[in-house]
Amino acid sequence: MAKLLLYLTLATSLIPLFSVAFSPENPTDRRVLVLVDDFAIKSSHSLYFGSLTSRGFQLEFKLADDPNIGLQRYGQYLYDALVLFCPSVERFGGSIDVASIVDFVDSGHDLIVAADSNASDLIREVATECGVDFDEDPAAMVIDHINYAVSNFDGDHTLIASDDFIKADVILGSKKIEAPVLFQGIGHSLNPANSLVLKVLSASSSAYSANPKSKLSNPPSLTGSAISLVSVVQARNNARILITGSLSMFSNRFFRSGVQKAGSSIKHEKSGNEQFLTEISKWVFHERGHLKAVNVRHHKVGESDEPAIYRINDDLEYSVEIYEWSGTSWEPYVSDDVQVQFYMMSPYVLKTLSTDQKGHYSAEFKVPDVYGVFQFKVEYQRLGYTSLSLSKQIPVRPYRHNEYERFLPAAYPYYGSAFSMMAGFFIFTIVHLYSK
Amino acid sequence: MARSPLRFLVLILAISICHAAGIFHPISDSHRSAALDLFKPVDGSFASLEEAYEALRTFEVLGIEKTAELSKAICKSVLGTLESSSSTPKDLFHALGVNGILKCSSKEETFEGIISSLQAVVRDANSLLDFYYSIGSLRLIKDQTSKTDLHLSDAEGTFRSIKALSQSDGRWRYSSNNPESSTFAAGIALEALSGVVSLASSEIDQFMIGAVKNDIVKLFDSIEKYDDGTFYFDEKLVNMREQQGPLATTSSVVRGLTAFSSVITESLNLPGDKILGIAKFFLGIGIPGDTKNFFDQVDLLACLENNRVSIPLILSLPSTVISLTKKDSLKVKVNTVLGSHAPPLTVTLVRAFSSSARDNSIIENQELKFDPQDAVYFLDDLPASFDVGEYIFVFKMLVQDSEQQTVYATGTLTQVPIYVTGLIKIENAKIAVLDSDLGSVETQKKLDLAGESTVSVSANHLQKLRLSFQMSTPLGNAFKPHQAFLRLRHETKVEHTFVVGSSGKKFEITLDFLGLVEKFFYLSGRYDIQLTVGDAVMENSLLREIGYVELDLPEPPENASRPPPQPVDPYTRYGPKAEITHIFRAPEKRPPEELSLAFLVLTILPLFGFIIGLLRLGVNLKNFPTSAVPATFAVIFHLGIAAVLLLYVLFWLKLDLFTTLKTLCFLGVFLMVVGHRTLSHLASASAKLKSA
Repeated sequence: MAKLLLYLTLATSLIPLFSVAFSPENPTDRRVLVLVDDFAIKSSHSLYFGSLTSRGFQLEFKLADDPNIGLQRYGQYLYDALVLFCPSVERFGGSIDVASIVDFVDSGHDLIVAADSNASDLIREVATECGVDFDEDPAAMVIDHINYAVSNFDGDHTLIASDDFIKADVILGSKKIEAPVLFQGIGHSLNPANSLVLKVLSASSSAYSANPKSKLSNPPSLTGSAISLVSVVQARNNARILITGSLSMFSNRFFRSGVQKAGSSIKHEKSGNEQFLTEISKWVFHERGHLKAVNVRHHKVGESDEPAIYRINDDLEYSVEIYEWSGTSWEPYVSDDVQVQFYMMSPYVLKTLSTDQKGHYSAEFKVPDVYGVFQFKVEYQRLGYTSLSLSKQIPVRPYRHNEYERFLPAAYPYYGSAFSMMAGFFIFTIVHLYSK
Repeated sequence: MARSPLRFLVLILAISICHAAGIFHPISDSHRSAALDLFKPVDGSFASLEEAYEALRTFEVLGIEKTAELSKAICKSVLGTLESSSSTPKDLFHALGVNGILKCSSKEETFEGIISSLQAVVRDANSLLDFYYSIGSLRLIKDQTSKTDLHLSDAEGTFRSIKALSQSDGRWRYSSNNPESSTFAAGIALEALSGVVSLASSEIDQFMIGAVKNDIVKLFDSIEKYDDGTFYFDEKLVNMREQQGPLATTSSVVRGLTAFSSVITESLNLPGDKILGIAKFFLGIGIPGDTKNFFDQVDLLACLENNRVSIPLILSLPSTVISLTKKDSLKVKVNTVLGSHAPPLTVTLVRAFSSSARDNSIIENQELKFDPQDAVYFLDDLPASFDVGEYIFVFKMLVQDSEQQTVYATGTLTQVPIYVTGLIKIENAKIAVLDSDLGSVETQKKLDLAGESTVSVSANHLQKLRLSFQMSTPLGNAFKPHQAFLRLRHETKVEHTFVVGSSGKKFEITLDFLGLVEKFFYLSGRYDIQLTVGDAVMENSLLREIGYVELDLPEPPENASRPPPQPVDPYTRYGPKAEITHIFRAPEKRPPEELSLAFLVLTILPLFGFIIGLLRLGVNLKNFPTSAVPATFAVIFHLGIAAVLLLYVLFWLKLDLFTTLKTLCFLGVFLMVVGHRTLSHLASASAKLKSA
């Protein structure tokens, strides 16, 4: 009996734990596994972790080679997101390997990877799976002799002050990042064929990736603004990934450090790292840019019921409500570029929906004079937002025989001749029969 | 075992990657602001007295004022703990620690009850932590009150029972029935032992103290080391290491060590460089973000700041980047770990050499002058032959007062990498197009690399492009920058980067387009030329768009490689698409209504003509049957015809085919009957007429 009671209390105490986890209705991550090379990272990067815990994330710190770590148990994922702050790990402990991390992301979970100048092959492999290639030279670092951060102790210009951000409020927040972001680490390049990966912070055109200690004889493999310092990936299943070649940019030292870009007289009291990385973590952990569409409706203009079929040339109205997740609640999403397609093999109509600024989008258009099976399609893909893909099938029929136009004025002569003929016939029968 | 140092090295690298090897900085203001951020009281107080002690001790060491409200709130819980009879020695220990800082209560009667119970704990204790907390508490009481009669009854015995837990390698066990020994415990034991010595009513046996000193020396044999000269203690057992990291372990040992050395009369002969290495280790981790680690760091440095073993002195440079143009001078600071001033020292620059040519010393054995105002040592002026570049300076410091030389740990030599920067002259920049076979110059243009002007040249695949310039240091020596790239960018964003080679001062690159055709993917057109010259010691690193070259390359052969795909601009990729509206089939053309009406009138006109014609012909109805029955049939017959015609009209207006045909069926049969009667009557009437 006592045992049963214990189980019951255990079960009930676990329910709230599961209910706050990631779900389509509540898409923010909650449980985060942080893998580190050394627990000292927990203290040296505490400001970053502190900003996560203060937003309600449950961080679980584990050594990357801890033999007891695992991402799932009994087929259930234990975490909503994974943070890899273990650039030098050669082999993960427990059941984690590259394939399981890829599976983790494939099932819609989020990932943050930070490498460093001594990044192991394993971390590079994880990055490659995400569509990002770190410089293959293990001794290479990103060097910029023009846009470096002025520092009394860093003479080799590997401490870079970069402010070449992606122009997307959804990823970096609406507040402008004033101070440059400090970066020290390795650069990576993006596969141009991969349309899912985005450069969030790119190096300036004077940067290059090379070993600062040796002379260059061949041009470095990565130069200029092709070097990405921080990249994000949004997979087709809306899983989000952040990849950077600098672990130190998350550190308290960089968060607190002042920054002055070479050649600029403005000295910022605080680097942009904290704002930049906090904002981007909001995006990665789905506190921003996560859309949902509800109440997809369509009907003829002037009616309110949804018909099973439309006739060609009908006037119809299509409407949808779109909401954005703010981390705690669904807020109306306001934009002026949501488009609906009336689609059969190719779009027959593509129209921008008008909005009432409260998340309700609608458009009116005439059904084309082609019959067949059509679809209402909303393919909404915007930089940084989760993609919306709605489609609803609807048949369109031609006119019935009695729905065509009648009594055309152009046909009046024909009508007139027929009827005058009939009248003439009637008179003729009488005259012919009875006239003498 | 090998795993842990490696792992920790990563951390050190990650944190102090900016600090070149060998440079450590004493505690500064950034620590103070970080401490205020870190030790934030929740609801006006701290969660436990242990945390309160850590916070207050940190504030005390760093010289941060604490607020009166906070003190009051903490004092309340201190007094509560001290007066409660159920407080454990651990609670008392922390409460007394806080009391020592805040001076909440110094009333002797508060302590009376505690003392007796603590002494009882000491008598019965058999685990190290019991000894540690009870003896530590007693010692704190002794410091805080004026009681002079506070003694341990059997100091010698207590000392022995603590010493009995020690292991042969200098580490300690937590209790006699726990076989695992720990370095962290060694620190605790040393602190407890020092407490016993200071609480003892009589001298402790010198032999015993000698044995403990021996243990300390053995403990120092197990110290771990990094390549940059830092030292630390770590637990040997993995499961223990998870409880106590290197920071906590080292901090505990040093705390015990300094406490023990302060109570014994003779000095502990420990190597000063290891103490200095420990100090450097703790300075090298920067600012920890964890309260526990922060406290460990600050408390350890405070212990080292004023100890009897040896006080480490830290040599640091305000800047390791020296600009020749700004005429910066070389400055060196020497401080204790907490940043206070060091005793008078002689700081010597032993050697300075270029990091590429290590055997060539530029400066040797030069003593630095002391500037008492800023408390910095500086080098008067750099020798005239000092050129830009990366150097390694080797410093040595020596305490001037020879009696104090053993008190301070100064280390042997400190190596510091120094970057000497300056303006590099770039001259004679020229761009030329050469004919390939003859090598004769076809066009040559001068470049102004400082200005904004651009040049344009054109070339075909049989020609060469040559870019040349000269670079020299402020002293006129040859200078080879790390980055000297020439970049050609085609209109389609395909880029090609070349390294500009040098011989002496002259930099030259010749692009033979014949050999590069394949590499350029046979793409003709305009190529923008960009020159990047940069180096860590070059103050005027430049990135210049020089101009463009109009290239005329042959048509690509069939199997030529295609240019690599260029990344798509993310902004355009996601923009809204152009709207599509369906184009409806145009309605057929119709004549205007007036025309139709006009023709309607025209079609009706013949009917009128017909009627008028009939009237003109003088039609009559004389043949109409006169008798009643045939006349009725005739009327019905014509009404029937009219009904059929009306049915046609109705069919046109609204009836469908089925109704019409059905009705027509009936009407037709009816018409046939009636028509037959009418027509037969008419026929018989006309036959009668003929026969008559």
